Amino acid sequence: MANMAVSRIKREFKEVMRSEEIVQCSIKIELINDSWTELRGEIAGPPDTPYEGGKFVLEIKVPETYPFNPPKVRFMTRIWHPNISSVTGAICLDILKDNWAAAMTLRTVLLSLQALLAAAEPDDPQDAVVAYQFKDKHDLFLLTARHWTNAYAGGPHTFPDCDSKIQRLKDMGIDEHDARAVLSKENWNLEKATECLFS
Amino acid sequence: MNSDDEYSDEDHGDSYRLANSPSSYMTCVESDEDTCTEIDLPERPKRPIEIDEFAYTVLTADQIVQHQRNIIDEVNNVLHLSPQVTRIILNHYKWDKETLFERYFESSPQEFFHRAHVVNPFATPSKHSLKSSATTTTTGKPREQLCGICYCPCEELKGLACGHAFCAACWKQYLANKTCSEGLAHSITCPAADCDILVDDVSFVRLADDAEVTARYQQLITNTFVECNSLMRWCPAPSCTHAIKVSYCEPRAVRCSCGHEFCFGCGENWHEPVSCSWLKRWLKKNNEDSETSNWIAQHTKECPKCNVTIEKDGGCNHMVCKNPSCRYDFCWVCLGSWEPHGSSWYSCNRYDEEEGKQARQAQERYRSSMARYLHYYNRYMNHMLSMRMEHKLYANVQAKMTDMQENMSWIEVQFLKEAVDVLCQCRATLMYSYVFAFYLRNNNQKIIFEDNQRDMEMATEKISECLEREITVQNLYEVKQKVLDLSHYCRKRRTVLLVHVREGYEKDWWDFIE
Repeated sequence: MANMAVSRIKREFKEVMRSEEIVQCSIKIELINDSWTELRGEIAGPPDTPYEGGKFVLEIKVPETYPFNPPKVRFMTRIWHPNISSVTGAICLDILKDNWAAAMTLRTVLLSLQALLAAAEPDDPQDAVVAYQFKDKHDLFLLTARHWTNAYAGGPHTFPDCDSKIQRLKDMGIDEHDARAVLSKENWNLEKATECLFS
Repeated sequence: MNSDDEYSDEDHGDSYRLANSPSSYMTCVESDEDTCTEIDLPERPKRPIEIDEFAYTVLTADQIVQHQRNIIDEVNNVLHLSPQVTRIILNHYKWDKETLFERYFESSPQEFFHRAHVVNPFATPSKHSLKSSATTTTTGKPREQLCGICYCPCEELKGLACGHAFCAACWKQYLANKTCSEGLAHSITCPAADCDILVDDVSFVRLADDAEVTARYQQLITNTFVECNSLMRWCPAPSCTHAIKVSYCEPRAVRCSCGHEFCFGCGENWHEPVSCSWLKRWLKKNNEDSETSNWIAQHTKECPKCNVTIEKDGGCNHMVCKNPSCRYDFCWVCLGSWEPHGSSWYSCNRYDEEEGKQARQAQERYRSSMARYLHYYNRYMNHMLSMRMEHKLYANVQAKMTDMQENMSWIEVQFLKEAVDVLCQCRATLMYSYVFAFYLRNNNQKIIFEDNQRDMEMATEKISECLEREITVQNLYEVKQKVLDLSHYCRKRRTVLLVHVREGYEKDWWDFIE
């Protein structure tokens, strides 16, 4: 790996470690291996959003040409959000693509992602299904996002109704994650979800 | 044939003439089509559609660079900015001076410069002092000279007018990365976050500090200049580095100094009488091989069991799939299993009656459209191939011209080469006339067009035969007269056809098949 990328990451580490956000526990960065090419980030769900109370883990891959090219970031924690794929965790965010600037840092990336959780852009979606729900059935979207935060990111809100529907599908031999994904997509309509799974 | 015509400044109505090398600056005119005004048609008054001259210039790479400078200077006579800032602004407006001036006079300076992504040069200079974008770290220490890219303390930081500064090594790598890997030139911004100020060419050279990167950058900005300028087009000939500049954009024939003649509108070989958009459709149709797939769709069916494609080559409808692993017996008509057909064949027939009728009609429609396409395509291809052969003729003619010079002077034998020129031109026109005709709906004007086409084709074949067979040194003077007559007649027929088509475009006679 190019020297510059490594030295830059090392220095950024110090910066993140000393930043106020670390003190407040809202963002975190850890090393995965000694090569400094793969990192694990973590952001806290912003307050007053359905993600509040959850901890979201991010996979960060630093390219050799860093910081001239953006780091590759995706969500490891499953999340229900219009700009993040509910299947792969891929993120649609301008600064991770064309609008990356060499003077940006991992800290700015994590803070931008946190801001993205607070302010979704459903008109520029990564996950069309989620975006549709966000725009058309916003209450259901909030419920689903909270439920996912609870199920995957350790959020505080539980939804017995959702859990029981998932259990029904699990009883039919469906994997829990698949059951949750299909029910979320079908607006928690058990009949439609079953139809979708078995047709 | 026409590149030697030198024109004075007034002729191309353009004020930027290259200061350094006026003699290499060529002005070409479609002189071969001047003859149109001589055409004398008895029944009609003189044609209103005249083939006017289309002035254009061929520029070398250096001349393009100079041309950019001239435009910048012109704009700067009004704006009084530094050339590098003017260049960015011009590029923002796609080198359209008029739009630029319009925007300049109607918007506030702040907005004008902001929109072009440059720092307002008239703003208070306090903003211009260099600051490091990385000094915002929360260390609490006094500000140190930290480079915002590599995060190393550096002695000297450099930057643009926006004030963000980075170390020399980072700038170098940043610009090399943007130019060589991402192929960007005019759109490189300051590397600071949320800063959209563009890197100007003078700063680029200073900060990139590398001959190779700078050369690539120059290449890229010249390229964007030509490509975003609607009055310029690169010569499409392979490895030709010239560009053509016109004073107004129109699909007209232009000839580069490398000899390649093409349409300024679309970059294809010159294709009159067919228009750029129809030619594009025609080329797409030919390339796509869509007719082949149509043939397959019409003449074959898939085995209902293994999906292998089958062509029926006999009358019997009892099909046995030849695929060794399948061997399915089925009925060609209903694609059902053959088994019940032994007893209930008639029910299959009745069931399919309506469908069979439709299929027959569809097939007939398809056959006639296929035949029509092939009619035009064969003639188009034939003229294209002949035209390629005629290029061999140049060599033969050259040899004959040398022989003839025993009896005639050099200037006296030039008629032969000119005749081949005419022949090639006619071939090209004929070739594209079939594309034009293919998309044309029948009407009276099309009949006239086809008559013109026939006359021109006959004339072309005559001259082609004459040039290929009849030229011998013995009957020199007779042959010369014949060739001159024929080529004059050909040229005339070509002009008649083209003028008629142009008149049709003007008067909306042509009804195209969508």
